[in-house]
Amino acid sequence: MAERVLITGMGMVSAIGNNVEENFRSLRAQRSGLGYAQYVDTIHAGKLPVGEVKCSSEELAEMAGLTDATGFTRTTLLGLVAMQEALFSAGIKDPRDTPAAFINASTVGGMCDTEKIYFDILDPEKEGTFLQLIDTLDCADCTQRIADRAGLTAYVTTISTACSSSANALMYGARLIRAGLVERAVCGGTEALTRFTINGFNSLKNIDKRHCMPFDKDRNGLNLGEGAAYLVLESESFAQRRKARSMAELSGWCNTNEAFHPTSPSPEGDGAFEAMRKALAMSGRTVADVQYINVHGTATLNNDVSEGRALERLFGDNVPSFSSTKPFTGHTLAAAGAIEAIYSVLSINRQMIWPNLNFTERMEELRISPETRLLEESPVKNVVSNSFGFGGNNASLVISKYGN
Amino acid sequence: MEIKCYIQASAAISPQQSFEGSYEPQLLPLEARNLLRAQEPGYAGFIPPNSLRRMSRLLKMGLTTALQCLRNANAPVPGAIITGTGRGSLQDTEKFLHDIRTYEETALNPTPFIQSTYNSVNGLIALQQQCTDYNNTFVHRGFSFEHALLDSLLQIQEGAESVLTGGFDEMTLEHFFIKSRIGYWKSALTQPAEMLVSGTPGAIAGEGATFFLIGTAPGAVELMGMQMSYKPDAAGVSETLAQFLAQHGVKEEEIDLLVSGRNGDVRFDHFYDIAEKALTPATAKIHFKQFCGEYDTAGAFGMWTATQELLSGRHKTALIYNHFYGEQHTFILLQRH
Repeated sequence: MAERVLITGMGMVSAIGNNVEENFRSLRAQRSGLGYAQYVDTIHAGKLPVGEVKCSSEELAEMAGLTDATGFTRTTLLGLVAMQEALFSAGIKDPRDTPAAFINASTVGGMCDTEKIYFDILDPEKEGTFLQLIDTLDCADCTQRIADRAGLTAYVTTISTACSSSANALMYGARLIRAGLVERAVCGGTEALTRFTINGFNSLKNIDKRHCMPFDKDRNGLNLGEGAAYLVLESESFAQRRKARSMAELSGWCNTNEAFHPTSPSPEGDGAFEAMRKALAMSGRTVADVQYINVHGTATLNNDVSEGRALERLFGDNVPSFSSTKPFTGHTLAAAGAIEAIYSVLSINRQMIWPNLNFTERMEELRISPETRLLEESPVKNVVSNSFGFGGNNASLVISKYGN
Repeated sequence: MEIKCYIQASAAISPQQSFEGSYEPQLLPLEARNLLRAQEPGYAGFIPPNSLRRMSRLLKMGLTTALQCLRNANAPVPGAIITGTGRGSLQDTEKFLHDIRTYEETALNPTPFIQSTYNSVNGLIALQQQCTDYNNTFVHRGFSFEHALLDSLLQIQEGAESVLTGGFDEMTLEHFFIKSRIGYWKSALTQPAEMLVSGTPGAIAGEGATFFLIGTAPGAVELMGMQMSYKPDAAGVSETLAQFLAQHGVKEEEIDLLVSGRNGDVRFDHFYDIAEKALTPATAKIHFKQFCGEYDTAGAFGMWTATQELLSGRHKTALIYNHFYGEQHTFILLQRH
């Protein structure tokens, strides 16, 4: 019998708060973090709303306790802030005590900073401290800086499967634990807004100029966001030995590929359906055991049809409460899976279901509509959290009340 | 590992003639710069013409190598697809960065953005072979292919019968220049034949795509295990190697082939001395980066080189030791049956 994998710590920073508690308060107050960008430099800043973290990079460096932030990109700084809280909340004083894995996720690494100096780098006449940022061009740089500072070095790597990256990081860390390679894995992702990604999604005509409206008939695309989130995963026996507080259990997961189209999901949501179905089967729960689904819900035309159809097919006439929290945070790409995994844990521990903001009218293609109210004192024992991405990469996680 | 894993097929596009026919590595001459470019095969037999026109170079290289590997295995649909790439499609990333500047963030063509996504090769393989199972991409320098390999071994322990595992990276002239600014490459033109004794810092750059089909059906070469080590010191490398061999019940003298990532970079070659000294003087050595150059996923070509050697019957037990600029170190053990 493979070991259970428990969540014993969480840390995050997003457009709706600089730590888990602030995020919780914003969710409860139904306060969105979307707005026009203050920090990312793009001509779209005053036209396309984004979920930007409300701190300058200098402020983030201070929060992370760095005296000299030379060479640290915003991606890394966001990650450091989230990591610091995750380890603290897990009651880990010295992470070096136990060989642990750090599985990070990123879509464009340090692009947020390198795009500003890229053409200086290409100019052989130009010299300066900006050359120190060359190595931050890839996805490994942020991971290693966070790993080194946190002292998580037994296994160190980075996953990039577009918008499902950090859900896959959580899965991989959980599997390293179940295989007995480590007793602790800290997993999640970090993503900073960049001119590169804003223009990428804008060129795909996937960005709404309004605040995004997941599962609404009138939806017209996503808003990008930034943030970082890490969850401390531990084997049940290790967590018990060190008397760790168990916040929830990561009881099931599944990664499937839809093999349908490079950037679009299938209209019937085959990949989403399989990912949710198999993740639930692994967790030993049935569809009737699920009280809440934190959907991917990007508010793009395609995603919401596809994901909605998958929900209808899997849950039939009894689709549980579901909502997309992207109208709060924006779509944080590589960080989204981990941010939403934390919202799922909060849902279980605070017995609340988060509202799907900006919804007014049901989609013609679907019989179902999202939960628009904040539900309090609502017993939640099992949550399904979905993350779907480019390349047909689908990931679903099942997060359960521990001892359930 | 409870379930044994075998290498059932492989394929490689590299600076060598490695894609088809018998493999005879050459010390290739360099003329303009310290960069070994991959020899690309004809793609027409692999990718439909409509797709081919749109695809950038790394996507073509990655997809074609994957397809050739599956053909060699006579197994069209693997149980999972797991890859590593340190840089993804650099050509597309660069194109989109340049387009953003040239067109001032307006009316951009989304294709380079889509293709620059690190998991795009994986998506294409899944799409073309209709493989709907587990699919993952690691993007971490010298732990890209290596974690793809570990993930593959885990998948097999969890019940997958086979996994398509690969690593791929390209080098563009633009990126070659960028990395030259922070000492990645040797500054004077150095021939692969002389790189190991050059006595200078930096490497010769390379590129390539390498895939394996790893599975439970018994084959000629067993993948006994692997061990990674992050930023170890010399003592750490030595300790990790000793533990790794002990764990697999392999004695130093049983290893008759060392496939080493030694690349003539005086800053980091000393790590390879440790592995060489741990083995007996009779152990044959192949320094594979003389043939493929240095890149994030060169370790995959190292494993491919070792596989070819074992299949040739010249050796029985191969240890592969590679590190990337002294930070990500990996040992892999292969044995012929």
